[in-house]
Amino acid sequence: MTTKFKALFSVLLLLVTVQAAFASGGPEVKFVGVTADRTDIASLQRGARLFVNHCLNCHSAQYMRYNRLLDLNLTEEQIKQNLMFTTDKIGDTMKVALNSKDAKEWFGAAPPDLSVMARSYTAAAISGSSDSPSAVLAAYLRGFYQDDSRETGWNNLVSPNIGMPHVLNELSGTNKLVETVYIADGKEMKTDHDAEAKAKGAFIASQTMSAFEHHVDKKDGKVENKYIVRTLVNVVPGSMTPVQYDVAIADLVNFMGYVAEPNKAKRIQIGILMMFLLLFLLGAAIWLKKEFWKDIH
Amino acid sequence: MASTTPSMFTNPVLKWVDARFPLTGMIKEHLTEYYTPKNFNFWYYFGSLALLVLVLQIVTGIFLTMNYKPDAAYAFGSVEYIMRDVDYGWLIRYMHSTGASMFFIVVYLHMCRGLMYGSYRKPRELLWIFGMLIYLCLMAEAFFGYLLPWGQMSFWGAQVIVNIFSAVPFIGPDLAVWIRGDYSIGDATLNRFFAFHVIALPLVLLGLVAAHILALHEVGSNNPDGIDIKKNKDPKTGIPLDGIAFHPYYTVKDIVGVVVFLMIFTAIVFFMPEMGGYFLEYNNFVPADPLKTPAHIAPVWYFTPYYSILRAIPPLFGSQFPGVIGMGGATLIFFALPWLDRGAVRSIRYRGNLYKSFFAMFIVCFIVLGYLGVKSTDVWGQFGDWSVILDTKERATWVARVMTIGYFAFFFLMPWYTKADKTKPEPARVTMH
Repeated sequence: MTTKFKALFSVLLLLVTVQAAFASGGPEVKFVGVTADRTDIASLQRGARLFVNHCLNCHSAQYMRYNRLLDLNLTEEQIKQNLMFTTDKIGDTMKVALNSKDAKEWFGAAPPDLSVMARSYTAAAISGSSDSPSAVLAAYLRGFYQDDSRETGWNNLVSPNIGMPHVLNELSGTNKLVETVYIADGKEMKTDHDAEAKAKGAFIASQTMSAFEHHVDKKDGKVENKYIVRTLVNVVPGSMTPVQYDVAIADLVNFMGYVAEPNKAKRIQIGILMMFLLLFLLGAAIWLKKEFWKDIH
Repeated sequence: MASTTPSMFTNPVLKWVDARFPLTGMIKEHLTEYYTPKNFNFWYYFGSLALLVLVLQIVTGIFLTMNYKPDAAYAFGSVEYIMRDVDYGWLIRYMHSTGASMFFIVVYLHMCRGLMYGSYRKPRELLWIFGMLIYLCLMAEAFFGYLLPWGQMSFWGAQVIVNIFSAVPFIGPDLAVWIRGDYSIGDATLNRFFAFHVIALPLVLLGLVAAHILALHEVGSNNPDGIDIKKNKDPKTGIPLDGIAFHPYYTVKDIVGVVVFLMIFTAIVFFMPEMGGYFLEYNNFVPADPLKTPAHIAPVWYFTPYYSILRAIPPLFGSQFPGVIGMGGATLIFFALPWLDRGAVRSIRYRGNLYKSFFAMFIVCFIVLGYLGVKSTDVWGQFGDWSVILDTKERATWVARVMTIGYFAFFFLMPWYTKADKTKPEPARVTMH
């Protein structure tokens, strides 16, 4: 492959749109964004920097040791200077000073440990229908919008009313939620079916993070169907462009995937070797069996 | 035996042993002079494979206990420690978690073989009973082991299963507290489950496996034709004409099975250890939290056919006990199989369409129940508001009810349909396909 093709190919890989319908009843969320490759060391390094700067203030990764980051082609010196803020021992795990009692008071719940968070996140993908767990996690991180009714001032499209504020606000800028409700009015949208079609159309056409929800209101024995489309609109730009921010989130999610199972690359490598070994053994075993069974008819 | 069997060895050390221990006798009795039907097919690999998985589980289990901490405060962390900081700990852990599921796959196929070829029938009733005891023991072993990683699914799965016992009338709630050692699943529960998982049940399991193999070697193996090879013996040697020595013939054949199995096993361990959330449930990567109930609690896949039966049976006077009876009955009814089957032949090859239809129905019921047990009860949507039969609107619950009836019909109607079945004549000698 020429470099030109390679570049084109990686862009194609990056520009994926994943749609996931959450378990029946809940809203359907459209994830517009990019994903990154686990073997892309540069992406993992950028993700590590974002992680220690933005996540590791409240969240710990208490099973992950700093010196494990040697995996990412970094030297101990580089790790100490750029990625370690709370300890000076390279063999320490990524702990934080935040007291879980205080955290509970401030956010309503203690921020969960992130060591294996990316692995558990696949649960959301399984109960829905998405084939990409990292897309779900990335969508969550991109789903923040300003909401003055919340104590933190932030809400989330993917996990409504979550206690976590938008810590990457400085990078992404501020989003606001735009909610459009489609109800059959007898005019332009004659029936529920028309209203649903119109809402779905708007949902599919949306270029940003959006969610679609079918809501049934029961008033005085009457049933009213509401089709709600929620989209995020940027109102204050951040230090990054939307595309840069998407790539940053992809890097961060990529790093979290690595932290959740640092041995994954090694695991697959050994697995391939094992398969070849077993294939050879299989040949030998079949030959042996045939030799012994020659006289059995 | 040591005195009656002349030693097969020339090595002086082995000769010395042989004079004091029935080494030659045992090797002959169980390997080189244990005559097995020569027509074993694909289905006959799973016995030796089950033994292989048992050994794998014991060996990996020993290494896991070296770093695991059965303490509610440390259990989850110690598993992550094994996954990250112990040299090749991840490999040992994945082998153990994959081994658990593979054990059930192998055992289910092994049992299916027994059903197909009538291996449970006279004179192999006791062999079948030992096998069923192994199966029950294995289920308990898997259940206790599943709590140990102390993830959300470990905790809530154990909570659900222990709560099943509290449905027993009168003594139920006390029984559940007695099992847990606490009012909810806690440190005391984890400690006792650990004890059961690493020592009590493995001991019982090993004893039962030994009894299973001894009983097998006493009566001899059945075969895909379901006929008795001991009826046609060589008049000079007394060896069955259709029998071949277990070693070397089946040892070399089983090696092929072992390698194929290891290829599948290896592929799972190294390339997809979670197996899409079925072997390692994703929610189990979240530490156990007694205050946060997961939206959907499903037991691991190998329990789901029974879990489906439990959910399908409607409560009686507000008590879930009928469901518990149904679930227990579904596992225990296998024990009665040797006495329920009144067919003229053993093997499905010579049975009529009646038996074959019931057998196919049973397999379908088992698989559909297993599938439904993984999913929430609204997986196939709901009937309209008009449906209020036994308070259930979910379609899946009704399918599960029909499948439960099918499951039990296979057993309860067996005395009738096996007798009424039009069987074909059995061949005099085994057939090689």
